[in-house]
Amino acid sequence: MDYPLLVGIFPQVLLDGIILGFMYALIALGYTMVYGVLEFINFAHSEIFIVGAFVGVEILLSLKGAGLLETLPWPLVLVLILVAGMAGSAALAVSVERIAYRPLRAAPRLIPLISAIGVSFFLQDLIRLVESVWRNAFNLVYPTMDVLNERFELTSTLDVSVKSLVVIVAALLMLWALHAIVNRTKVGTAIRAVAEDQAAASLMGINVNRIISLTFLIGGAMGGAAGVLFGVQYGLINPYSGFIPGLKAFTAAVLGGIGNIPGAMVGGIVLGLLEAFAASYLSLLTGGAFGAEYKDIFAFSVLILILIFRPKGLLGEVVRERA
Amino acid sequence: MIHGVLAVAMVALSAWAVATFPRSVLVFLLFQGSLLFTYLARIPAWLRGALFAVALLVLMPVIGYYNGYYLEVATQVGIFVALALGLNIVVGLAGLLDLGYVAFFAVGAYTWAIFGSPQANLIFGGGAFPLAPGWFYPFLLVGLLVAAGTGLLLGLPVLRLHGDYLAIVTLGFGEVIRVLANNLDKPINITNGPKGITPIVRPPMPFGLPTSEAFYFLVLVIVAVVIVVNRRLEDSHIGRAWEAIREDQLAAQAMGVPLVRAKLLAFACGASFAGVMGVVFSAKQVFINPESFTFLESIGVLAMVILGGMGSIPGAVIGATVVTVLNLQVLKGLSLWLNELKNAGVTVLGYSLTDLPTQLEPAKYERMIFGVILILMMIFRPQGIFPVRRRARELER
Amino acid sequence: MAALFEARSVTKRFGGLTALSSVDFALESGIASIIGPNGAGKTTLFNVFTGLYACDEGSVTFRQQSLVGLRPDEITTLGVCRTFQNIRLFANMTAIENVLVGMHARVTLGLWSVLAHTAGFHHTERRLQARAEALLERVGLRRHANDVARNLAYGSQRRLELARALASEPALLLLDEPTAGMTQGEAGALMRLLRDLVADLGLAIILIEHNMRVVMEVSDRVTVLDHGEKIAEGPPRDVQTNARVIEAYLGTRARERRPRAER
Repeated sequence: MDYPLLVGIFPQVLLDGIILGFMYALIALGYTMVYGVLEFINFAHSEIFIVGAFVGVEILLSLKGAGLLETLPWPLVLVLILVAGMAGSAALAVSVERIAYRPLRAAPRLIPLISAIGVSFFLQDLIRLVESVWRNAFNLVYPTMDVLNERFELTSTLDVSVKSLVVIVAALLMLWALHAIVNRTKVGTAIRAVAEDQAAASLMGINVNRIISLTFLIGGAMGGAAGVLFGVQYGLINPYSGFIPGLKAFTAAVLGGIGNIPGAMVGGIVLGLLEAFAASYLSLLTGGAFGAEYKDIFAFSVLILILIFRPKGLLGEVVRERA
Repeated sequence: MIHGVLAVAMVALSAWAVATFPRSVLVFLLFQGSLLFTYLARIPAWLRGALFAVALLVLMPVIGYYNGYYLEVATQVGIFVALALGLNIVVGLAGLLDLGYVAFFAVGAYTWAIFGSPQANLIFGGGAFPLAPGWFYPFLLVGLLVAAGTGLLLGLPVLRLHGDYLAIVTLGFGEVIRVLANNLDKPINITNGPKGITPIVRPPMPFGLPTSEAFYFLVLVIVAVVIVVNRRLEDSHIGRAWEAIREDQLAAQAMGVPLVRAKLLAFACGASFAGVMGVVFSAKQVFINPESFTFLESIGVLAMVILGGMGSIPGAVIGATVVTVLNLQVLKGLSLWLNELKNAGVTVLGYSLTDLPTQLEPAKYERMIFGVILILMMIFRPQGIFPVRRRARELER
Repeated sequence: MAALFEARSVTKRFGGLTALSSVDFALESGIASIIGPNGAGKTTLFNVFTGLYACDEGSVTFRQQSLVGLRPDEITTLGVCRTFQNIRLFANMTAIENVLVGMHARVTLGLWSVLAHTAGFHHTERRLQARAEALLERVGLRRHANDVARNLAYGSQRRLELARALASEPALLLLDEPTAGMTQGEAGALMRLLRDLVADLGLAIILIEHNMRVVMEVSDRVTVLDHGEKIAEGPPRDVQTNARVIEAYLGTRARERRPRAER
């Protein structure tokens, strides 16, 4: 076995894992917040996430078409697409809740879940339809800005691109902002109250419907931000590319204890790291017999194991069903 | 009385129309509509049975003689009916949302594909494979057992999970099976990866029937068996225990239903139907690859069950028929029609259809169709088109 | 001779809260009632008895066999069955189907008999059907056999739950507030029915009840719980005059009189 190689790639894999982990963490927040309030898996969140990426790419492409991409300062462009992506995803998340979930709130639990699966599928093809009419394309490439592709060599085995730094900084800012909103504002208190006990919260004069919409709005915005960062980092998106990251992010949310906001962040980063290491080391460790293509299986196995042995996740408490 | 006459007339008329206009999709839909009418009409059971027998055993093969594609559609419908009935046990009766159901179909399909093709030589060495065509029939049972075993294997660890977690885990399992099929071409070549397996041996055709007719009848027989099995399970203490679990699993357990065992049985039964159909599917297609077993297929089957009505056997049959026909005929028909309009250079409201992007093809928007079905059904009619009718039990006086 | 059912020093904690602390309980035959203010631990005790909760300490035995660690369905199969405080019928199934599910533990047919419709299957189904009808008759729901459970009136739902529990042929029946929501007349009829069941089938019954008139009338023995502890036990008349009970109870009497939230 090639030990120097194994050790040598370690820092790079660690960095990749952290970036991926932040991405998962941002998406996982949407799942976990909605679950916290409604006890419901918003299956369509993966599409809400990828819509953010599409809003971002559309803006970049129009800027490029107008020749503005090179002339505008790049931080401005980044902020612009980030805000627009968040707004787009948030608007979508709120509308989806209003149309497809709210009428089903009193129904048995499987009913809204099935509706959410329907929304997910519907949105995938809706995006595809819109893109095929509008751009006659399936895959879209994020136009690059030269600055973002510059790389710093930190050590002989580790270099960091500007865009990776941007992704990390932006993700950290988002997570901090969310933390502040949930824990330091009145709105955040209301969200936590609704998550704790809807009936009691409404007796305390909290407008539960508004808070639920708000939860979707915030979760959607986080997903949208993740979408834009996903596009910036990985470059290529298509209408179906939200699905697998969405599923992984859900795994991350479960890993951290679903409904638990810090849990989603921790779970995201843990899963990102696990996956990055699996992707890089599986092939090396098994002599090429099993390669990076098994990383999805690895992630799902993690999910299954967690659910069996610690169903409330790493940070969640175990709650029993009442007779 | 009037219903009986109408039903007979409709079946006869539409069958004649199909034979006369073998290319028209609308006419074939009319034929299917007449069968639906026969099912719903207030006519004596013997007449209904006779009409169905005539339509399915005689008219359909004759129609297939004029237009082979219709027989293909009917066979596909049959395959999906069996899948929908299998999923109906798991989701409809026992209330366990399985989002990876197509994995069991894949397991069955690969079981025959590997041994009914030279593929097995790569695993075991030598040149003993493919097996002789006659082995296909015992392999129906092998496919059933392997799929049921896979169901048990998955079920054992995960069936303790709560509803929505179970859904996600089964989804993950479905993906795992697909990824495995995609990648197990090394270190040992078991599935031949994304290239798929071909040629797969077809069974010897009884009575010298042509291939497509033979598959049609084979599928018909299996569907009939599946329906009988489904009904018998439903009308037994096993089916009642499943429904009780769906209604309130804690109360069911308190009434003496062993939860894990009952759920495992539901999983295994559902899986076994898919396994058998997988074997048939791989022989019929001659070629299979992982693309036939995606999440999309699982959701498609789920949409069939939900459209028809969860827990309802006629519902599953009709849901499977409607969705398959929609996919294979209506949307394809629309695509063709749109293409013709495009080529003819038709303009709508000043917009020339020639300018439509080539990617815009209704037949390729299955996801949207499934999505709309799921959302609308959940909001407006969660019990489905043909909700379960609770059969009144005859009381002794 | 050892009792039919015996629980010794049962203790159950939820996090820091001790819901039951060292409760002893035994029953040989007849009807025993468990009373106590809300939150005294009565339903928790039932949940421990029927295997929904595992107790932290103590032992529960039925016919000299330990029930600790058994699943609820295994306990039902042994002959202990229950009803629920907040009725848990199979809402979308008919009344008779609910009762038939209750018989699940007594059906020994295998998968093959069901699929092949063997003679044994038909015979069993006929027997189950006849028994289910008899049970519905007994609780006065024969007319409603084919009605979907969720459409039944409240009192009927309670009686259906009783029939469903009886269907499992229990030797010990645990009823959690069976008369809640019933009129005094309905409650009286139900109690007569319970008395008859004890007389006819030799059934032993443990009741959780708030309706004091019912408790005093029907019970052979009354156990009083307060804050998870047994504070008194004995014949109804003795318990009624027990100073500790009066103190525990009267202190909360005013609360008891208001309609309870769980309805």
